[in-house]
Amino acid sequence: MSLRQTHGAEIDAILALYPHKRSAILAVLYIAQDAYGQLSDAAIREVAEILDATVTDVFEVVGFYTLLYDDKVGKVVLQVCDDVPCAFCGAEELVGTLESKLGIKSEETTADGLFTLQRVKCLAACNRAPVLQANLDYHGELSTPEKVDELLSQLRTRIANNDNISISGRKATL
Amino acid sequence: MPDVNLIIDGQAVSVPAGTNLVDAARTVEVAIPVFCYHPKLKPVGMCRMCLVEVYTARIDPATRQVVMGPDGLPQLALMMNKLQPACVTPVSEGMVVKTTTEKVKFAQRGVLEFLLTSHPLDCPVCDKGGECPLQNLTMQWGPEVSRFDYSDKVHFEKPIKLSDVIYLDRERCILCSRCVRFQDDIAGDEVLGFDNRGRSWEIISKSEPGFDSKFSGNTTDICPVGALTNADFRFRSRVWEVRSTPSICTHCSVGCNLSLDARHNSLMRVMPRENDDVNEIWLCDKGRMGMRFVESATRVTTPLVRQHGKLVAASWDEALTRIASNLSQIAAKGNGQVAGMMSDSASNEDLYAFRKLITDTFQSTSLDHRPGAVTDVAIDEAIITAGVGMGTSLLSLGKGTAVVVLAADVEEEAPLYVLRLRGIKNRGGVVHVVNSFATKLGTSASSDTRIKAGSEAAYANAFLKLVLEAQVASGFDRRVRNLDDVRNQLSKLLLDTLLEHAGVSRAQLQKVVDAYMAASNAIIVYGRTALQIGASVTQTMANAAMATGKCGKANNGLIALTTGANTFGAVSLGVRPGKDGAAANEFWARAEAGTLRGLLVVGLNPAANNPAAVEGLQTIAKHGFLAVQTMFMNETAELADVVLPQMAIAETDGTITNAERRVQRFRIAMAAPAAMHPTWQVCAQIAERATVATPASKNATAVLSNWNYAVTSDVTDEVAQNNPRYAGVTYTSLDLSINSWGRQANESVYYDGTSYTNTEGNGVQLKTVADDAGAALTVVYSPPVEFEPKGEFGLLMQTPVRAYNGGTWSIDSKLGSRQVAAHVLISSADASRWNISAGDAITVASPIGSSTLPAQIDKNIAAGHVLMPDVAGAPVHLALGAYTRVAIRRAE
Repeated sequence: MSLRQTHGAEIDAILALYPHKRSAILAVLYIAQDAYGQLSDAAIREVAEILDATVTDVFEVVGFYTLLYDDKVGKVVLQVCDDVPCAFCGAEELVGTLESKLGIKSEETTADGLFTLQRVKCLAACNRAPVLQANLDYHGELSTPEKVDELLSQLRTRIANNDNISISGRKATL
Repeated sequence: MPDVNLIIDGQAVSVPAGTNLVDAARTVEVAIPVFCYHPKLKPVGMCRMCLVEVYTARIDPATRQVVMGPDGLPQLALMMNKLQPACVTPVSEGMVVKTTTEKVKFAQRGVLEFLLTSHPLDCPVCDKGGECPLQNLTMQWGPEVSRFDYSDKVHFEKPIKLSDVIYLDRERCILCSRCVRFQDDIAGDEVLGFDNRGRSWEIISKSEPGFDSKFSGNTTDICPVGALTNADFRFRSRVWEVRSTPSICTHCSVGCNLSLDARHNSLMRVMPRENDDVNEIWLCDKGRMGMRFVESATRVTTPLVRQHGKLVAASWDEALTRIASNLSQIAAKGNGQVAGMMSDSASNEDLYAFRKLITDTFQSTSLDHRPGAVTDVAIDEAIITAGVGMGTSLLSLGKGTAVVVLAADVEEEAPLYVLRLRGIKNRGGVVHVVNSFATKLGTSASSDTRIKAGSEAAYANAFLKLVLEAQVASGFDRRVRNLDDVRNQLSKLLLDTLLEHAGVSRAQLQKVVDAYMAASNAIIVYGRTALQIGASVTQTMANAAMATGKCGKANNGLIALTTGANTFGAVSLGVRPGKDGAAANEFWARAEAGTLRGLLVVGLNPAANNPAAVEGLQTIAKHGFLAVQTMFMNETAELADVVLPQMAIAETDGTITNAERRVQRFRIAMAAPAAMHPTWQVCAQIAERATVATPASKNATAVLSNWNYAVTSDVTDEVAQNNPRYAGVTYTSLDLSINSWGRQANESVYYDGTSYTNTEGNGVQLKTVADDAGAALTVVYSPPVEFEPKGEFGLLMQTPVRAYNGGTWSIDSKLGSRQVAAHVLISSADASRWNISAGDAITVASPIGSSTLPAQIDKNIAAGHVLMPDVAGAPVHLALGAYTRVAIRRAE
């Protein structure tokens, strides 16, 4: 099934917003990323075709933005801030807790394909340090293992119910 | 607009407004170092190498007035209070620029030190070493030592292939984006881009196949480091070991200027040589990587004569004597018994001597430069009358220029014209493309009109009709003759009928006509389809140029993308059918009828893909005499009585006339692989051995029968003497050089290091008839020819040109994988009608036969239109001219 077949109406609505198809590049890449779980070579070429854009141009965009994943990621991408204020408030402990609870190192994906853990720089939410974003939804003050447990079980439930899961963050409620 | 005055390093400079500081400094020989800036590309200010101190008048923030100093002059202030990148800073009145202060030097050292932190410094094994801007700039402006640890360098996997011919070494790349910008802005093939960020930033190409551009080699020239290298030259030689010889490319009609770089008589690389009026500083990949055939081990290196049915090696003397005596005997039987055909990519000297041999020595006017196929193009007289005027320079054209490209696939027929025509459009001109199928140039043109297959002549006549109507108001060129007749005949054609036939609306045509009429410089370009259809397109377009006075002056007139590199030379020097003579495609019937018994073929292979020619050649060989001069054995040579080796362009010298009638000189770059002679000398040697008595009726003059040439330029001089059109063309006049593109005072240090300065001549442009102020310009009505599919042959087939056609030039070329295999392109509609999928074998039948080959489906082709690209192995003998009625079906 091509994106046109699965998300035709949505794509058309996006394209209608811009005078040039090319302007819709990020929005359509988000759709493709959610639909395929990553932006594979084939997915990027499909987007280029939809936008009548040069294939290399679309690859450039994917390469530039860190939130466009060309490698396979989990259903939920956990991005923990390890910048200075968060580090003071326990970011390293948070990463450690997540690593042990998920059984992975950062930059890895769990075997069940549910979670990917990444370290990122400042998320501009220092007042809630230590903070992480899960599919671009912010979760702050994760200072104890219990709070992490609660977050993970909440996310697992959402994944199981397929409740607003979007690695592109299109369902984020910021 | 008045010039802007400023001071650069204490020198007064006056340049047009809008000039950037790098260019302005250049005019007073002040060199500002650059990496990303290139005078052919838009500045982007990415590399920061060109930082300079710029002072402008101090403005009082309160009053917004210039603050005056005690000396009564404006007080100066450092612009933005920091260094400015010179390449993106335009000049302004009263500016003071300092390029050598300590602050500037500090910045330059810093930029270089930074660039070198992740540069591998593998210069000893880098192909760019010796002509590398990074090396040169480091030597002049760089720090002596680096404060960074060598082991901190970022390393990438050594070269990755962007394509079969271009390699990328990412750790050498300094990310100046010259290659990306060249591909986007100049070539129009947007196939390069940047991936990732920061230290992982790298060049990528994701097209299929990779780096899919016919101009990719140019990026290796403008790359300021050794990041991009081409497969043709990698690790062949150090650049300082090669000897450069100026030459001309003969792969198409553009006539690009080349440098052939050889070491120890072995060709190392082919580089573009600057000529603003031809290739600027560019070269297509076919020109750059299509010269390896010269050193092929399969070259014919010794004369061969037929003995007991087999071709065996013989001495030159024996072979030449055989040719002379046999053709002499045959010639004695009367006009036309001996005929000659010679490639229209040969030099003027060779063509002239060949014509002289056939007409004077063998008394025949059966002479041609075409291969003798049904699809041969018509001889184009229009270009002699109304070709682009003397002094034409496409590089000077922009705003106010209109180019109409009709019935041509520019990228496939003459690739460099794509860059030149795109350049006109980028500078503000308009380029309107009109063709029966989609072309690459069309995608970046001002308009791209798709006309119905076979309606080129209808379109041309409709164009002429509207042009003449529009011209009435301002009056016609007073030199035009026969205008009333043409207008009268045209009035009988209904515009609506023509438009309907062409499948275009009045508005579409009017837009092109209006642009043409309004332009102060107007050029019409046509290509192979137009030339195959002949006068009803070419003469009709010439009529438009003549009636409106848009010819006979610089930057106005016609450009024909001819089949050969020197078609104009062949036509104007007489290698064409003369009075009572046969054209090449009539040779075979004459052979069968017994009225043609001797044939001399030079550099052509008429037997390829042409059963009629094979039969004719066999008959000539059986009952008469067939001599062939060729570089490689081929179908024609296999049938010959005598085969002579032919020299490649790299091994001989002479002159070539390009599509804009610019005569250019090429020189001897290397010795031939064995003892051989240029064709003009072979002709002289045959003539000297010939014994044909001059019939009393012909009074050949003493000059014409003189074969006393010592060197090539003796022939050149005789050409100039005997052909008014070539008057004044001598080796001396051809050698005048004018260099104009943006160079620095010490060019090798700055931009490219590899685009060679042209010190060996820009060539001489020949006059057209219209260039003579007193010449009468006769317009001739040429009714539209029509190609109607009918009956069982319900589709129209065209045989378009492909640059990568698998010809002789591709022997040993690195472009081997890009050669187009024989195939047929059909429309989606026809594919579903006959239930054909891409890759299926289909049978194409024309009224003269049928053949089976793979099909490709092209959604841009109209139903009923079939394209069979003219490439090696394609059964183009099925064609009957520009368009052929055919039937297709799935092969069983």
